[in-house]
Formats: sequence, C-alpha cells, structure tokens
Amino acid sequence: MFTIVEKEELASSVHRMRVKAPLVAAKAQPGQFIILIIDEKGERVPFTLSDWNKEDGSVEFVFIEVGKTTRALAKLQKGDSLAHLIGPLGRPSHVDHFGHVVCVVSGYGIAGMVPTIEALKEKGNKITTILQVPNQENLFGEEKLREISDELILAAGGDGGFTNPTALKPLRQLVKRHPRECIDRVIAMASFCLMKLCCEITRPKEIPTYVHLAPLMVDGTGMCGACRCVVEGKNRFACVHGPEFNGHLVQGWDVLMARRCTYADEILGQQSFQCSSCSQW
Amino acid sequence: MAEPEKPKKKPKKKLDLNRVKMPKQEPAIRRRNFNEVALGYTHDMALKEANRCIQCKKRPCQSGCPVNIDIPDFIEAIKEDNLPKALEVLKRKTSLPGICGRVCPQETQCELKCTLNQKGAPIAIGRLERYVADWERAQGEVQLPEIAPSTGKNVAVVGSGPAGLTVASELAKLGHKVDLFEALHIAGGVLVYGIPEFRLPKDIVRGEVDYVQKLGVELHLDTVIGINMTLDELLNGKYDAVFLGTGAGLPRFLGVPGENLNMIYSANEFLTRTNLMKAYLYPEYATPLKMGRRVAVIGGGNVAMDAARCAVRLGAEEVHVIYRRSREEMPARAEEVENAEEEEIQFHFLTTPIGFLADGRNNVCAMELLKMQLGEPDESGRRRPVPIEGSEYVMDIDTVVVSLGTSPNPLIPNTTPDLETTRWGTVVADEKGKTSKARVWAGGDIVTGGATVISAMGAGKIAAQAMHEYLTS
Ligand SMILES: Cc1cc2nc3c(=O)[nH]c(=O)nc-3n(C[C@H](O)[C@H](O)[C@H](O)COP(=O)(O)OP(=O)(O)OC[C@H]3O[C@@H](n4cnc5c(N)ncnc54)[C@H](O)[C@@H]3O)c2cc1C
Ligand SMILES: Cc1cc2nc3c(=O)[nH]c(=O)nc-3n(C[C@H](O)[C@H](O)[C@H](O)COP(=O)(O)OP(=O)(O)OC[C@H]3O[C@@H](n4cnc5c(N)ncnc54)[C@H](O)[C@@H]3O)c2cc1C
Ligand code: SF4
Ligand code: FES
Repeated sequence: MFTIVEKEELASSVHRMRVKAPLVAAKAQPGQFIILIIDEKGERVPFTLSDWNKEDGSVEFVFIEVGKTTRALAKLQKGDSLAHLIGPLGRPSHVDHFGHVVCVVSGYGIAGMVPTIEALKEKGNKITTILQVPNQENLFGEEKLREISDELILAAGGDGGFTNPTALKPLRQLVKRHPRECIDRVIAMASFCLMKLCCEITRPKEIPTYVHLAPLMVDGTGMCGACRCVVEGKNRFACVHGPEFNGHLVQGWDVLMARRCTYADEILGQQSFQCSSCSQW
Repeated sequence: MAEPEKPKKKPKKKLDLNRVKMPKQEPAIRRRNFNEVALGYTHDMALKEANRCIQCKKRPCQSGCPVNIDIPDFIEAIKEDNLPKALEVLKRKTSLPGICGRVCPQETQCELKCTLNQKGAPIAIGRLERYVADWERAQGEVQLPEIAPSTGKNVAVVGSGPAGLTVASELAKLGHKVDLFEALHIAGGVLVYGIPEFRLPKDIVRGEVDYVQKLGVELHLDTVIGINMTLDELLNGKYDAVFLGTGAGLPRFLGVPGENLNMIYSANEFLTRTNLMKAYLYPEYATPLKMGRRVAVIGGGNVAMDAARCAVRLGAEEVHVIYRRSREEMPARAEEVENAEEEEIQFHFLTTPIGFLADGRNNVCAMELLKMQLGEPDESGRRRPVPIEGSEYVMDIDTVVVSLGTSPNPLIPNTTPDLETTRWGTVVADEKGKTSKARVWAGGDIVTGGATVISAMGAGKIAAQAMHEYLTS
C-alpha cells in the first residue's frame, strides 16, 4: 500500500498528490512517470512525476479530473492509500547545456515539466516557458514556473482579456526572431494537438523540438504495445523508448490522437477531435 | 523407473479404446461466460480412464514428458484409488500439476508417445493429472513440506511466472531466503495476464502463489528489475545469487501498412485488459476494452486461440482467425482449436494480412489479405508458406488482434552490459540455466523464447538445483 501524505486542490478539477513510495523516489529523474492503481479493481493509470524527495521517500504528481480514476483519486485524502504504484517509468528527459530552451506546457505538463526545467536550469540554460490554460479558472502552477524560468509567457482562453489565447502565437513570434534571438531547443509537454502544431511551427527553421507523448498505456513496461507510435519509420513504445521523442521525427500524429481518444468518444462526445474541450488543452 | 517391475502376465485383456470424454460447458452457453470450459473428470470417469492404461514396461509416455513425470505410477495409484500417492508421484517432478494438467500440449508430449496413441486413443494423461490436482485442492488446506534449516543465503528471483515460482519454492524448501520480484501488480506471469480464466481459473494460480509465500518466500509486487534495482545492484546488495525468469513479454507486430490504426491491438494488450485487468467485468473493474463486432485475430498459436475465444465471450458477432499456414501446422493445443471451432470461430488458413484500411477517422475498417500455399519445409521442419500472386482480397473487420508471438523484454539485458544475449534477445544459458554472468541463472521463456509452462517449470527445477549446489558449496 502507498500512503497519501499530501493532497491539495490547485484549481478547479486540478489536484496535487504526494505519496510515500521510497523505491520510486530513489530512482526518479525528470520526465519520468509512474503508474498507479487505486484499488484491486482499479485501472492502471499513468501520471508524470512533478517532484520527489529521496530523503523522505515521497513522490508527487498533479492530475486533472477527466474520468473514472482521476475522479476517484480526487476524492481520496491525506492518510488514504493507493493499492499499487510502480515507477519511475520511461526514459528521463534529455538534459544538457543547449543554450536557450523554449518550454511549452499545458494540462498536466504545467506540473510535469517542472523537474525537467529545473534540471535544464541547473545546466545553465536560459528558459522561456509558454504556459497555456483553457481559461483563468483553470490556471495553476504559474508561480513555480515563473520562479524557475527566465521568462514566462501566459496564454489563456476565455474572457480574461489575454493577448494570447493559445501558446501558438507566442511560439510563432519567438520562432520568427530565430536565429537572431536564437532558440536551441523546444520541449513540449502538452496536449497532442498543441505538440503537433508546435512541431509544425519549428520545422521550417529546423529548431530541435522534443515532445512528451502520452498515448494510452496499460503495463508501462513494454509488454502490451498499447503505447506504440511511429518515430523515424520505426515502431516505438512511449513507455520505454519515450515519453520524450524528437517531434520532427514523429509520424502519424492523427493516428496517435485517434488512439489516445479510443475511450473518449462517449465521454467527450467527439465527432472528430474538438481539441479545445480536451482535458489537456 | 525407481521401482522394480513386477512380473506381469501378458496382457490378454482387450484394449479399451474408448477415451473418456471431458465434460464441458455447452458451446452456446460458454460463449457467454468466462467460466472454465472443461469441467474435469468425476471420480468414476477418472477411474475408468485410468483403467485403460496398460502400464507399459518401457514407459513411452514418461519419455515424452519434458519433466519426466512417472506417469504409469501416478495412473496406477489412481486405479488403486490412492490419490495421496498419485499426488506424491506427480509432485516428485512437477510443482504445478493443476496448471500443467490444464494447459500442457499433451498431444505433442506424453500422449503422443502413449502406446494407445497408435490406435488413436491415448490415455488422457493431462485430464488425469488435473483430476489428482483438483482432488488435492478440494481437500482444503495444503500440507506444507518440511523446510530445511536456514542456510543464511539470500536469493533474488525475478519474475513470478511458472519458472520464477518454481525456483522460489524449490530454494525456499532448501532453506534459502528468497525474495521474488514481480513487475506487475499480480503474481503469476502469463498464467494471470495471458491465459484466460475459462482455460485456467485464476484461483488456482493464486493458490500456487499463496503456497510459495507460505514457504517463506517474500513477494515484492510492482517492482521492476532494471528500473527499481538493476541486476548489478541486486548482486552487489544482499543477494548471493539471482534467477531471471522474466519470460518473453515483448509483442511482435506484422510491420505492414496501417498496423497502428485505432482498434488494432497486440494480443498482449487485448489479453492483459481482459484477463489481468478483468475488462470482462467492466464496469465493476475499471479497465475497459473497446471492441467492435467483426474481430480478426492474426496468428495460429495458443495466444491467438485465447484472444479469439475471449473476443467471442466479450460479445463479438464474428471472430475470424487468420493463419498463414494450414491447420496441421497450427502450434496451438489441439483441444483448444477444437473448442474454438465449437465456439463458432471461423478459421482462414493459408492467408496473411498485407495491410489495414482506415474508415476516415483512423479506425481500422478492413484488411487486405493475401492467399498462400505451402512450399518447401523451413528450419522448423514445417512447410514454408509462399504467397500466391494476384490472390489479394479485402475483408471488412472493425477490430484486429495481432498475435504473432513475443520475444524477451530487453529491460534487464539493456541495463546489464555483461549479460550475454542472442540476436533474438533471449538470454544465453547453459543446460543448467547458468548465464554468462557470475551468480546469475535464467530459465523459461527468457532463455527459450515463447515456449510452454511445463518447460519453464522444468528449467526452474534444474536451475534451482544448480543454484543450491552453488550456494552450499
Ligand atoms: C506518460 C503519461 C503521463 C501522464 N501524466 C499525467 C499527469 O501527470 N497528470 C494527469 O492528470 N494525467 C496524466 N496523464 C494522462 C492520464 O493518464 C489520464 O488522464 C488518465 O489515464 C485518465 O484516467 P481516468 O480513469 O480518470 O479517465 P478515463 O475514464 O480513462 O478517461 C476519461 C476520458 O478522457 C480521455 N482522456 C484521458 N486522458 C486524456 C488525455 N491525456 N488526452 C486526451 N484525452 C484523455 C480518455 O480517453 C477518456 O475518454 C499521463 C498519461 C501518460 C501516458
Ligand atoms: C496467451 C498465452 C497462452 C498460452 N497458452 C499456453 C498453453 O496452453 N500451454 C502452455 O504450456 N503454454 C502456454 N503459453 C506459454 C506459457 O505461458 C509460457 O511459456 C510460460 O508462462 C513461460 O513462463 P516464464 O516463467 O518463463 O515467464 P512468464 O510466465 O512470462 O512470467 C514472467 C514474469 O516476469 C515478470 N517480469 C518481466 N520483466 C520483469 C522485470 N524486469 N522485473 C520484474 N518482473 C519482470 C513478468 O511481469 C511476468 O510476470 C501461453 C502463453 C500465452 C501468452
Ligand atoms: S504409454 Fe499410455 S498406456 Fe502405456 S503406461 Fe503410459 S499412459 Fe499407460
Ligand atoms: S504501456 Fe504497454 S507497452 Fe507501453
């Protein structure tokens, strides 16, 4: 059993949870994720690590209520426990001294990208972060990102009077100034559609762009193939070869998005993809 | 082999060629449930079947058994109605009779060699084995064997499939302290995530796992070796020796266009959702499995049969099995192929998919097939299928399960540079299971590639013995 040691609501339907899992904390690295099961009848559900503490053996993640498991998780409180938790899964984000790194985050990426940004910062990179939320009520994590980034650009929809309704406009502007104001790398942990569009924006100028793919997963250890995607013509499993991939080499985004939403039709009532009603937007 | 043969009169008795049928759930009924299909022999049936055995001196059946079970002796004990003795004979060589009796491919092992098979009616050895094991289970509390005094040695067993469970129990009985590490949240390996409830009730697997724990083995679920601890960390830590029984869990795909479309599953995903996560009990269990009405399963092994039969039970209207060779070459257990046919699964032999077509929303809606014919035999001795030119045709389907076999997961080799592997990803081990790395043994599918429960268990027995010799020398 894995005991919940902290639980906090960050915004409407967004929660932060910290769980005792010393084996996971001991090996955690930026960009990795865990899979948890609430009880013996539960589903295996992946979440990206947003923080961990090797000393007290705890790990943290932020989740957005979208369906059965996340709603049930939202009801749990400090002191409750989870039946299973495995990790850290996936390959860590590639961290190095690149120069100027632009990070695009939305959905759980707002929290999930934090350890990667901190590690990039430690390597002496200059960080520009673009944070996208659907509207102001759903805004969370801004303070932390502002603290660890050299510059934070906020993009929000709704009627908050924001100049940038999505992350795309500020990214386009930054890319336009490249290479005068050089961008050495773009990293996105956001909804599929936003990451796909980011790749299209950076492709003409060949700015290295890395995306964190989160397809459906079952085991998370390379056994089921649910998370497969095509990268550079090869079948790759996001849970073991990823989740971070070179976005310009990812093929078949539309298929990936269709697979991601296999179980979304009923719940989101999607005809085709209405991306702005997606939880990750 | 152990006992001297009693002088016997020439068997004047006429051979009884009436194999006692296995009572089964009716196809129309079992198509709608996940309960066990084969119901097991009654006492009378078992006696009748055992009485057909002519107790051959040369024991051909035993020579066909991968772990050399003293088959005539356990059958003799059934005849004498001495089930404790029958059990004792079985347990000398197999620790999992209730499982092997159900899932072993007897028709290519013991029953193939049975003298009566020359007349087409081998003794139903597997069913008798199952009968004895079920009798034991019905007795309630299983007797624990004597456990040797502690040797003070620590062993890590990685993977809780048949190979790992066997090594863990053998070494625990010999007095070693065993930690059993399992990546998934339930122990049992393929026995829980692959083979469905209707063929192998999970209670039986749980019983075996409980038993291993009662022997003092400590089970660590949710622990992935290669992630939470590397093999070297285990060896540099408290463990004197390590056994790798991580199986062959990496799914293979066809590599044809459209294979990643939505609603195309690997058999591993389809079966894991169904069996391990119990999607057939959704929404009581939280994991769903989306499936259409016309399901195609690609492949001809046990895995393909299991996927097809799960699809039937999950409510598919039509289930088609697409296999590139002919019926004779199908590696699946004969009994399960028969069961599948009774369950109205349609077989398409000498056919292979060459592409999948989408419905405009990236869901699969049809597949393109190519007819094959059998050519010259290949390395496996089976005749190689060769395409018939111009025989392409299209079949409408809305769900596909790709079941082409698996290879070992590279997680441990990738994090252990000095562990020798073959180009198929299997770990190299000698006949006693010793790998290229000091203090590390391996056995089961990780060494052989996808094989059988009994061979994994047998490899476990041998490796455990070798490990014990090492630990006590
Ligand atoms: C590697 C990885 C890391 C992840 N990290 C996080 C994280 O840190 N925080 C977090 O909140 N979530 C994260 N997710 C997504 C998370 O796993 C899903 O939100 C979760 O599985 C939903 O489970 P549920 O039972 O609540 O919803 P379900 O009942 O399973 O689903 C509800 C509906 O929402 C759809 N849906 C769920 N998630 C998504 C999504 N990401 N994109 C589009 N549609 C979706 C489902 O397809 C479904 O139709 C991650 C996913 C992966 C693969
Ligand atoms: C659907 C299906 C049907 C089958 N039907 C039959 C049949 O009818 N008859 C028959 O004889 N055989 C059958 N087989 C084959 C048989 O099940 C296998 O040969 C046998 O289970 C192999 O045993 P094993 O112990 O080597 O590995 P497995 O049973 O594969 O167990 C390996 C275990 O190790 C765990 N593991 C893997 N990597 C790690 C890691 N890094 N750290 C920790 N744990 C790890 C896995 O999660 C798994 O639980 C079938 C197989 C499948 C898939
Ligand atoms: S070969 Fe057949 S008949 Fe002969 S001893 Fe074995 S099971 Fe009995
Ligand atoms: S989640 Fe099963 S292979 Fe990646």
